[in-house]
Amino acid sequence: MSLPTLDFSLILPELVVLITALLVLIADLLWPRAASRGREQAPAVLALAGLILAGLLTLLAGEWSGATLQGMLVADALARYLNLVVLLAAALGLLLSWSYLPHFSTQRSEYYALYLLAVAGMLFLGKSIELITLFVSLEILSIALYVLTGFHRGQLAGGEAALKYFLLGAFSSGFLLYGAALFYAATGATRLADIAAQNAGGFYMLAGLALFLVGLGFKLAVAPFHMWAPDAYQGAPTPVTAFMSVGTKAAALVALFRVVQAAGSVPVGVWATALAFLSLLTMTLGNLAALRQSSLKRMLAYSSIAHAGYLLVGVVAGTAAGFDAVLFYLFAYAFMNIGAFAIASLLERPGFYAVQDAGIHAADGLFGRRPWLAVAMAMFMLSLAGIPPLAGFFGKLYLFAAAVESGWAWLAVAGVLNSVISAYYYLRVVVGMFMAEPSASAHLRLPLPASATLAVALTALGTLLFGLLATPWFQGISR
Amino acid sequence: MTSADYLPILILILIAAPFAGIAILLPSVLGPKNPNRMKQEAIESGMIPFADARRRFPVQYYMVAVLFIIFDIEVIFLFPWAVSLNQLKIFGLIEMGVFLGILLIGYLYVWKKGAFEWE
Amino acid sequence: MDLTTFPLLSLILWLPVLGALALFLFADARSIRVTALVVTLLDFAASLLLLPRWTPDGSMHYQEVLAWAAGLDFRYHLGVDGISLWLVLLTTLLGPIVVLFSWRNVTENVRSFFFLLLIQQAGMLGVFLSLDLILFFIFWEFTLIPMYFLIGQWGSGRRVYAATKFFLYTMAGSALMLVVILLLYFQTGSFNWLTLKEAGLDRTLQFWGFLTFALAFAIKVPMFPFHTWLPDAHVEAPTAGSVILAGVLLKMGVYGFLRFCLPLFPQATAIFLPWIAGLAIVGILYGSLTALVQKDVKSLVAYSSIAHLGFVMLGVASMNEQGLSGAVLQSVNHGLSTGALFLMVGMIYDRRHTRLLAEFGGLWRQMPVYSALFMVVVMASVGLPGLNGFVGEFTILLGAFRVNPLWAALGTLGVILAAWYLLAAVRGLLHGPLDNPANQHLADLDRREVLVLAPLVLLFFLIGLFPALFFDKITPAVELLLRDVGPVIGR
Repeated sequence: MSLPTLDFSLILPELVVLITALLVLIADLLWPRAASRGREQAPAVLALAGLILAGLLTLLAGEWSGATLQGMLVADALARYLNLVVLLAAALGLLLSWSYLPHFSTQRSEYYALYLLAVAGMLFLGKSIELITLFVSLEILSIALYVLTGFHRGQLAGGEAALKYFLLGAFSSGFLLYGAALFYAATGATRLADIAAQNAGGFYMLAGLALFLVGLGFKLAVAPFHMWAPDAYQGAPTPVTAFMSVGTKAAALVALFRVVQAAGSVPVGVWATALAFLSLLTMTLGNLAALRQSSLKRMLAYSSIAHAGYLLVGVVAGTAAGFDAVLFYLFAYAFMNIGAFAIASLLERPGFYAVQDAGIHAADGLFGRRPWLAVAMAMFMLSLAGIPPLAGFFGKLYLFAAAVESGWAWLAVAGVLNSVISAYYYLRVVVGMFMAEPSASAHLRLPLPASATLAVALTALGTLLFGLLATPWFQGISR
Repeated sequence: MTSADYLPILILILIAAPFAGIAILLPSVLGPKNPNRMKQEAIESGMIPFADARRRFPVQYYMVAVLFIIFDIEVIFLFPWAVSLNQLKIFGLIEMGVFLGILLIGYLYVWKKGAFEWE
Repeated sequence: MDLTTFPLLSLILWLPVLGALALFLFADARSIRVTALVVTLLDFAASLLLLPRWTPDGSMHYQEVLAWAAGLDFRYHLGVDGISLWLVLLTTLLGPIVVLFSWRNVTENVRSFFFLLLIQQAGMLGVFLSLDLILFFIFWEFTLIPMYFLIGQWGSGRRVYAATKFFLYTMAGSALMLVVILLLYFQTGSFNWLTLKEAGLDRTLQFWGFLTFALAFAIKVPMFPFHTWLPDAHVEAPTAGSVILAGVLLKMGVYGFLRFCLPLFPQATAIFLPWIAGLAIVGILYGSLTALVQKDVKSLVAYSSIAHLGFVMLGVASMNEQGLSGAVLQSVNHGLSTGALFLMVGMIYDRRHTRLLAEFGGLWRQMPVYSALFMVVVMASVGLPGLNGFVGEFTILLGAFRVNPLWAALGTLGVILAAWYLLAAVRGLLHGPLDNPANQHLADLDRREVLVLAPLVLLFFLIGLFPALFFDKITPAVELLLRDVGPVIGR
């Protein structure tokens, strides 16, 4: 028996994140409890350091190529960009958690350890090219997120959110496993490359792919599998929502991309048409539902569903250009969406046990009190609506261009019309901030911790400049 | 693997299933039966039952049960590892070291959190 | 400095942006105002540099091309020809004028206000200068943002409603344009206007392309029946906003028709021209008749804009040299005269905080300078020979007459109505007894206000007396357009 070759250098960033997670778990336990304030933040510092190190390793790794761990994981350009998106989102979410966490929990090390485990799950998911690994990665990230969603222990909404997310998530995992089983039944292989090589057709492959779409669709919050999303996004601690709305989508999209590539024997028209209708349904439903929300966070949750719809457009296109566009959009989305949630988290008010949700009018009159925050929020909203020259516009431009190129012009039309619908509810926030009198509840002084301010500044800069500056060099990622 | 390889398993099933069935059926046929009211009460260590059995009990039991499952199941990995250690050599030793190290961190965490203290 | 290689257009385009950023160096309101004024004046001076070396051959001058994107081949490509030249100059001229006008009557958030004015100017210049369709679209959509905030924050009355309506209406109209731009790209491999107009697109694409582009532009112009956002936005906007809206923003729609709809989709143009002419005439009559019954001077001017833009679109629909040249010049004229009208309405609003005609009367006695200037502005707007409005309207009617005398006849009816409602405004404001005690002590215009109006009034006469100065740069570009498009349409 020969031993498998294990090239750990290709999964170095993931290993760093995992080891950091373990260290964070015991970090503040090994030190005495009555520590100084600086030491209280030790888990957060450690976690951030781990994320930054992982990011640097990804950047410095040069051209990644090749499969490792017996063809279970692959380190390719796609995984590299996914790493960057997820780590960026995670680092920004972490900056938010820094000041937010003390409002609702003292269990710092658990929070950060779970957070890092979710990150590791996403990173592994992006590298998975084998069905079992894919499933295990997905479960690692999901289970960590289930717990994080319910981290508001004193709050009923948090418990409800976690339970709903857990039950529906477990259900969707079942679908995914069934899909994997059918793939195996059709081809006798679990590696995606082998499955593709078999080129097996027939009912098993088709049904398997359909089940995969359902399973990953749940994670992506694609309608009609989005039911959990508004509750989970609203009930979860806002930094977690910010992070998972971007990270989970990114990882699941990469997985989806790899799976549909592997199922090459299923006619493109079949799954692409199915995805196109899911995409149309998702963006329309998300936007229409967002129109009627009274909670800022819930509105952003529905907006996030709508954006899952936009992102699917790139997968529908089915081309390398399409997936380039998806990755580009994910970067833009990481900036603008996390920025929006960052400000939502600043607008929430700490209560006795938990944190009170920010209503749609919580931002009223913000321009008068914190002009720069209002300007940043306006930028996030306009970018989410897809107004040039912000990052969101360029993201949509690339997505719709890929769709038009592949003959999906009607989907692009649906996309731009949806952007117009979405502009209405995004503008509602802007109107409140700039053109309305501060509401009674908003008179409280807004806390402005340094870490969250940094997160807002970074996301605002990213939203403003990413589209303009990244456009020249952004091409050929997934080729 | 051909279907012939599954034969030993089939034979095991064929032997084990009737054995278990006989062990359950035989006493109920052969044993003496004198039912009375006292005998049909739920058994509670010789005490007279005084309340519904379905009620809350301390969370510590859960804790112990969960911890037991976690650490017990991980031991399962040790058996196949031990059998093939002479093939895996030093690499296998390191791998198991990493595995146990991760478990140890979990153990440390549980310990420091005070999950082992009853009160 | 070598003007042939110097990126003059980029300078004109980005100077306001740099100026807007420079505003953050200052804390006090006065320095901010001065900076804004200096920047807009410099920008105007820079745009004047376009004129001396202008060769009137109708082609694109001062082109600048920079590769920008990699995945899709859109570029930073600027250029200016006889059609856009005067619109660029109009934009840069109105810049310092609105800054000067807002000098004293904007007191809240001074920095934000001038910041928005400056980036608005850059956005509009970008629309007129872009030769790349994506770049054009970026500027086109971008112009919504500053104007949205200008109306929403400094506007009056139902400003939030007006701002939101303005934003959503125009965004909805132009969103589909993006898809068509992409379709064009994947059919021809270029976003470049110069390439696309030679491409010879297929008929179906032309049809749908024209419809979507025309929808976006018709909303901007605005053509009847897409005009409903305009009265709200114009009336609720602060004066500076109204001036920019009427002066430049609406011209973006006309410009869009001339630059994109006609040359890119000539076959579709042939189909739709009668419709455009029809809607233009309905717009003239509707705008005029509605203006007649307005009680608020600002609404009156707003509805008069619909009528005047109807004239411009009638010129476009004539599709001959006179019609198109007249449309371009009348766009500039309307920018000047309606801009001036909004400024003058703003001046009395600043004094009385009302714009209802019934509140005024007899101002002639109290404010002679104001009244004299108002008469000139109204006459320019009505189209008195010797002033700019006459030149534009006459040329347009001439062009329309050559296509269809009925169009010209109905258009002339609009001229008469324009005289009616504008003179009604004059009567309501200036004539009659000075019977409202609130008007007894109104101060006449001060030096700053005269300075604001002076360049506009001078231009009324300049254009009115020496139209050739302007036409000789417009006409070659129009001829070039007609040479390409005319045969397809049969003119």
